[in-house]
Amino acid sequence: MTATTSPALDRNLLHRLGIVAVLFVIAGLLSVLTDSFATASNLTNVARQVSINGILAVGVTFVLLTGGVDLSLGSVVALSGVACALFAHPGEYPLFVPICVGLLTGGLCGLLNGVLVTRGGIAPFIVTLGMMTVARGLALIFSGGKPVADMSPDLTGLAGDLGPVPIPLICFAAVAVLSWLFLGRFRLGRHLYAVGGNEQAARAAGVSVPKVKLFAYGLCGLLTGLAGVVLAARITTGQPNAGQAYELDAIAAVVIGGTSLSGGVGSVLGTVLGVLLIGVINNGLDLLSVSSYYQAVIKGVIIVGAVWLDRRQARS
Amino acid sequence: MLRACQLSKAFGGLSVLQDVSIDFHPGEVHALMGENGAGKSTLMKMLAGVYAPDGGSVAWRGQPVRFRTPNDALSQGIAMVHQELMPIPDLSVGENLLLGMEPTNAFGWVDQAALHTQASAWLQQLDTDLDTRRPMRSLSVAQMQVVEIAKALARQADVLLMDEPTAALSDHEVTALFKAITTLRQRGVAVVYTTHKMDEVFRLADRISVLRDGRLVCTKAALEFSADSLIAHMVGRELAQIFPPVTTTPGETVLAVEQLTREPAYRNISFTLRRGEVLGLAGLMGAGRTEVVSALYGLQPAASGTIRLRGQTLDLRSPIDGLAAGLAMVTEDRKGSGIVPAMSVQHNLTLAALRQFCRGAVIDATAESSTTHKATGDFAIKASGPGQAINQLSGGNQQKVLLARALLTAPAVLILDEPTRGIDIGAKAEIYALIGRLSAQGTAVLLVSSELPEILSLTHRILVLRQGELSAELAPRQTNQEEILRHAMPR
Amino acid sequence: MRLTPRTTAGTFGLACALLATGLSVGCKKAETRKPGEWLVGYSSRDQSAEYTARLGDAVQARAKERGVKLVFVDAQADAQKQISQTENFISQKVDVIILNPCEVEASSPAIDRARAAKIPVVNVNSLTKAAPDCYVGSDDEQAGILAMEAIAKQLNGQGNVLMIHGIMGQSAQIHRDAGARKVLAKYPGLKLLDHQTASWDRAKALALTENWLQAHKGKFQAIFAHNDEMAMGALLALERAGVKKDVYVIGVDAIAQALDAVKAGRLDATVFQDAVGQGRGAIDTAILMAAKQPYEKEVMIPFQVVTRENVDQFLKK
Repeated sequence: MTATTSPALDRNLLHRLGIVAVLFVIAGLLSVLTDSFATASNLTNVARQVSINGILAVGVTFVLLTGGVDLSLGSVVALSGVACALFAHPGEYPLFVPICVGLLTGGLCGLLNGVLVTRGGIAPFIVTLGMMTVARGLALIFSGGKPVADMSPDLTGLAGDLGPVPIPLICFAAVAVLSWLFLGRFRLGRHLYAVGGNEQAARAAGVSVPKVKLFAYGLCGLLTGLAGVVLAARITTGQPNAGQAYELDAIAAVVIGGTSLSGGVGSVLGTVLGVLLIGVINNGLDLLSVSSYYQAVIKGVIIVGAVWLDRRQARS
Repeated sequence: MLRACQLSKAFGGLSVLQDVSIDFHPGEVHALMGENGAGKSTLMKMLAGVYAPDGGSVAWRGQPVRFRTPNDALSQGIAMVHQELMPIPDLSVGENLLLGMEPTNAFGWVDQAALHTQASAWLQQLDTDLDTRRPMRSLSVAQMQVVEIAKALARQADVLLMDEPTAALSDHEVTALFKAITTLRQRGVAVVYTTHKMDEVFRLADRISVLRDGRLVCTKAALEFSADSLIAHMVGRELAQIFPPVTTTPGETVLAVEQLTREPAYRNISFTLRRGEVLGLAGLMGAGRTEVVSALYGLQPAASGTIRLRGQTLDLRSPIDGLAAGLAMVTEDRKGSGIVPAMSVQHNLTLAALRQFCRGAVIDATAESSTTHKATGDFAIKASGPGQAINQLSGGNQQKVLLARALLTAPAVLILDEPTRGIDIGAKAEIYALIGRLSAQGTAVLLVSSELPEILSLTHRILVLRQGELSAELAPRQTNQEEILRHAMPR
Repeated sequence: MRLTPRTTAGTFGLACALLATGLSVGCKKAETRKPGEWLVGYSSRDQSAEYTARLGDAVQARAKERGVKLVFVDAQADAQKQISQTENFISQKVDVIILNPCEVEASSPAIDRARAAKIPVVNVNSLTKAAPDCYVGSDDEQAGILAMEAIAKQLNGQGNVLMIHGIMGQSAQIHRDAGARKVLAKYPGLKLLDHQTASWDRAKALALTENWLQAHKGKFQAIFAHNDEMAMGALLALERAGVKKDVYVIGVDAIAQALDAVKAGRLDATVFQDAVGQGRGAIDTAILMAAKQPYEKEVMIPFQVVTRENVDQFLKK
């Protein structure tokens, strides 16, 4: 009996073979259909483009693991971006200020979500739906309805490259690795799975369910804030209208990756694979100049197909 | 009438049933006996159309049949009461009971009045008085089981398959069920029955078939078995005795409960528990036993009263408080508040005592693994590995994991709420031996059980609860089942 | 607060009182304008979009200037809402309705309702299928033509062009696309290499252009984006890839950021949409209609191309 690897990890790897297979098939197809897919610069682009959705997806994985949901991701991304941009004018504040403001904005929204879910006993769907509209409104108020421009190049440089590697990718990778370690090795991570798997049982086993949920929503908010900062850096403005429907792409990635919407099952590895799949599809459809009408249909078909294949494989 | 011909079934390469052939006659009660994992449920499910056999066939009234869905079997007149309760929580009791058979009026709409009258009538057959308009989710586990049985009766089948129908029931309800079964038998219905309760088998069964490790050991008339020989056939070896003798002498008081009250469930509950003592809590379904012990653990805090552990007054608002104080509990509903189904055996086992395996906030995987390994051995937990999902284990093994979980916290007081419900005789014996060992080591045990043989044999003292109040304190070796029931029945 | 019979009754009574007060005040409102002061209802397509917000501000400013009482509402890009808002205007008995329509088809019922109630309607900035009494706006087709002509001039009629669309099906997208294609037809040497929508969104345009830089590396010389937000996104991608000097980028709207970018030499050009002019035209026409005086059925406010040469005059506006 191995004493070092977590039993859950081996199972996950095996189960995710379905998604990995689909990913490779699609990547292979694209390499054949167009010679611009399999190039270093394109793959770097894909990595850069998926980073924001990736950070969001990892963040919302925590919430989904507890059996909850967060619909406010896109709006909080916009609000955090606006908040960050407001403090990012050149020469005003040192670099860590706008970054911290963005992170804290996201974190506060997440904590508020968590408090309303645990203390208020309101369903996460409703709470985060409300936050979705409130955050969007606040973003418009703080920005005056116009994009907040004039961001210092130090900050917008965060969306650039460090050598050959895009910095947003480094952020995404760091978030993913740290989250993976946390969920697998930390007591609080284990508690997350317990609460999502059977809340009553977790409570009876001495897990503080409200604390765990509050943590999940708060962390998700913090990571959403990070995504907001990265997005603002990338488009060089704090856009109050940014992030429309980002929560759908993020949650789709997480679910594709095998996380159950009812909680207790899931992994960061799965989320990353889901993010990559969606990113590759988006990139490929653009490279092939597929009309946007068809893009929507094709994307939907591939996603449902990938999940079906994955679930079938996991059951056997 | 119904015949299993060389039925075989395998799940994922693991053979569960092999070459089993049994005849079921009309008007007889046929008991299927065997340890957990012997294949009884699988056999019944194949007869009821839930599973398709991998080998062999089912013959119905002399003709081979292939049931593709449970509905096929139902339409032929074969109904089943499953071990796993599957109620629809948000529908009413009546709607659950008559699901698929609702009485309709001329327009095809459900006739609510007729539905509830009929549902109540079926429940009366089991001597149960429940408001059929209540939502299903408001029922206790035992009540749900009664409704499930009534549901099968309402189908008026020719063959009734019952998988552990009395697991959650106390004697009173069991008697009513037996009366109903006797009536069915007189009408020519074939009843196929599995249970782990020995006394029931001999009360009811005409013939007994014993399964062991997926194969049929023998089919004989019930009269040809004795309790010992039956167990021997099931287990494949002689079990010296099931109940270990109670030899320990309890020490000083470790838990003192005074005037514990939470209306309307219970009131003015006061008792003490001593070191190394096994205290039994008996009573009917609904008497308030689970509620009282839940308060002692912090699961469902009491409204008023004092709880003192080793002299210290405790303020128990959640299980976190209970565990910290040195209490541990195994709840009665392992599916609902015991196991985390998708999680592995190892993770379930260490869940309550996780802090012990942590360096700070990080889990020490080596320590966790070795502890799991040891516990798996100590408790004889049968699993393919520590990483197996716990919901794939048999009920008995799941219960052992939950016990191990509670004991990892090294409690001074262990609360067990129906610990042997739905578990085979081999596992039961192991748990009884464990209780004996715990008592010898000085752990105080509070045992809630509806199986009076357990209460009478394992405990130092018995408290009887009647409708939320303590009605008697009895000495186990000087009392009997009748006396306990007398104190438990409503006046 | 516990839901006792007393609190329920109290709350219910309070609600009734508020309702009664509201009704009486509302009824009064319809009559509190002074003689000669016109009541105009304005439904903005979406105040969270920068250009539309500018237009709304311009309408409000002009109304104040000319002493018109304005009821200003935001349809938040929802045609259903816009129809409801129009119905509200009708029950408020406004003199004229000014509509900044959400969608060509879906907002048309609003016009029909107003017509049925015999209240004159002015469409500003966007078209609907149903004909209003007056249209004040700019011809989006002209924007497309101007932009593509600027590209043609820059490329001397030879080269490959990429086009980034707005949300498909919106009036602006349809007509700017049509205008652009008209010009493309005139210059056989100009080819539309690829086109795709970025839904008016900067981030989407950025990602799209990054992908285009892969698929059509070195093969295009100009990008026409249907609005400045998307042009800015394309610009960022080109700058990051270090190939901006090889590509001419032009957008539409002349938002503040775009003007700054033109002045700084980053963005090549944009097409100025005169929000103030449109807003002013709408209010002025509304006043004429209310006073039952003759008015123009169509007031076209011209677009203007903004380049580095003339950007200063637009920065002042």
